[in-house]
Amino acid sequence: MMRVFAERMVEYLSWAMAFLLCLSLSVFLSYLLIKGLPSLGTELVFGKADPLSVLMGRERVFDGIFPAIIGTLCLVVLSTVIALPLGICSGIYLSEYATPVMKKAVGGLFDVLAGIPSIVVGLYGFSVAIFLHHHFSGRLGPCLLISALSLGVLVLPYIVRSTQTSLEELPAHIRHTATALGATRLQNIAYVLIPNALSGISSGVILAIGRCAEDTAVILLTGVVATAGVPSSLLAQYEALPFYIYYISSQYTNPAELSNGYGACLVLLGICSALFMVAHGMKKRLFHWALYRL
Amino acid sequence: MDKVPKQKKEKIIFDSVNFFYGTRQVLYDISATFYSNTLTAITGPSGQGKSTLLGLLNCMWNEVPNTRCSGDIQILLGGQWVSPLRKDISLSHLRRKVAMIFQEPNPLPMSIGKNMAFPLKLAGVRDKYLIEEKVHTALEQAFLWEEVKDRLEESALNLSGGQKQRLCIARALILEPEILLCDEPTSSLDSKAAGIIEELLVSLKKDCTLLVVSHYLDQVRRIGDLVMTLENEGLTNFKERSS
Repeated sequence: MMRVFAERMVEYLSWAMAFLLCLSLSVFLSYLLIKGLPSLGTELVFGKADPLSVLMGRERVFDGIFPAIIGTLCLVVLSTVIALPLGICSGIYLSEYATPVMKKAVGGLFDVLAGIPSIVVGLYGFSVAIFLHHHFSGRLGPCLLISALSLGVLVLPYIVRSTQTSLEELPAHIRHTATALGATRLQNIAYVLIPNALSGISSGVILAIGRCAEDTAVILLTGVVATAGVPSSLLAQYEALPFYIYYISSQYTNPAELSNGYGACLVLLGICSALFMVAHGMKKRLFHWALYRL
Repeated sequence: MDKVPKQKKEKIIFDSVNFFYGTRQVLYDISATFYSNTLTAITGPSGQGKSTLLGLLNCMWNEVPNTRCSGDIQILLGGQWVSPLRKDISLSHLRRKVAMIFQEPNPLPMSIGKNMAFPLKLAGVRDKYLIEEKVHTALEQAFLWEEVKDRLEESALNLSGGQKQRLCIARALILEPEILLCDEPTSSLDSKAAGIIEELLVSLKKDCTLLVVSHYLDQVRRIGDLVMTLENEGLTNFKERSS
């Protein structure tokens, strides 16, 4: 009797927790929509500038979030490009080549890295920026590249661990198929293991993209400013949406500005969703390509 | 009646082979001889090292961490005796010539045609016509051509269990192996599909030497030219008897 009761309770509790989670998410999204929708429009993005002129590069935006959108996109793409090869190669090493001792040691280091607060990574990036500033007579300093490098370090553990775990979790029958057909270890990794582990790897990449898009602490110390315009080069300062949201919500002078902050939140969510969808779409294409390229 | 040919030609020789997973020994001083173009069935209780014994021949045990092996194994490949344990042959070449079929059919998540061409492409074969010809021949050898000739572009995962296993056998045969190792190839199949696989394995004797691990005594007696039992009586011993 007690056992039946306990089983029912666990079932109801699980259901209730899942429902609560969905409800919280819905409330949160609805709140953002209610607060942010009124400000969504070309004025939020381009301010008083003509959108076409801005897109053609003929006019600068001074009171819109267009530069922050471009800055965020640049940041996400750059950090991912930096972290992806490093993370995937390290994951492959840990899963396929490392001895148990190395696996423990190197894996432990990545776990430590995953646990480092982002502000500490930002501080490290800041120190690098100061070092470069001193040694390159002011030509180098906090900039988009240093932010991207710092964010790359921050998200590296996600990619490493997701690659390692998804490779290690592949069933023996997939792992041994090509090997038994005479594939070398590299051929097995390239033509069978990686394509079959792509789903798990891409989850790590999606997490990493999300983290790159939303992290404020790192960029705060490494190159983001309130008014820099569209980044002109990798060594230039830039604007980013998370910083804009932080800045406007802590410094707003009227309700319209705060509403712009909520609007920027919606834009950031939209960008993240679009990036996730692109990553998901690429996963399917990559899986097909990776399996059939031989 | 002994089904082993009168003129027996030695193909594989185990000489005092011991095998360990970590500190646990699973094979004890195994010495045995297997003959060319013969189907040897290996049976015995679970956990006695039957699959391990097969895995030694194409060095699949190398893929399992913390294992070691002592003794010697000699295999006659291309007219020359080689020793996989002494590594006097490249792993890739060894595994192409000593193919392995697993308990669970393991087609890759790609089309039937691509699955078949996969080992050839791994081996560096790029000639499209040669690949097509070999795919055709291997599928015919595995009694599968008629069933899939119009579906080569379809996913191999859509095949039935028996068809998947025959596809895996065909995929192994495409490399023209001299030895085919089968680790309980029918255990996941129904009796009809198992019957077809049995018939197929017997038919392959003319082209290669087969070692088949099986739990089913009736199957072992039906298809084996030689039946060997791997069992644990204090020490694991290896008995040979004619069927």
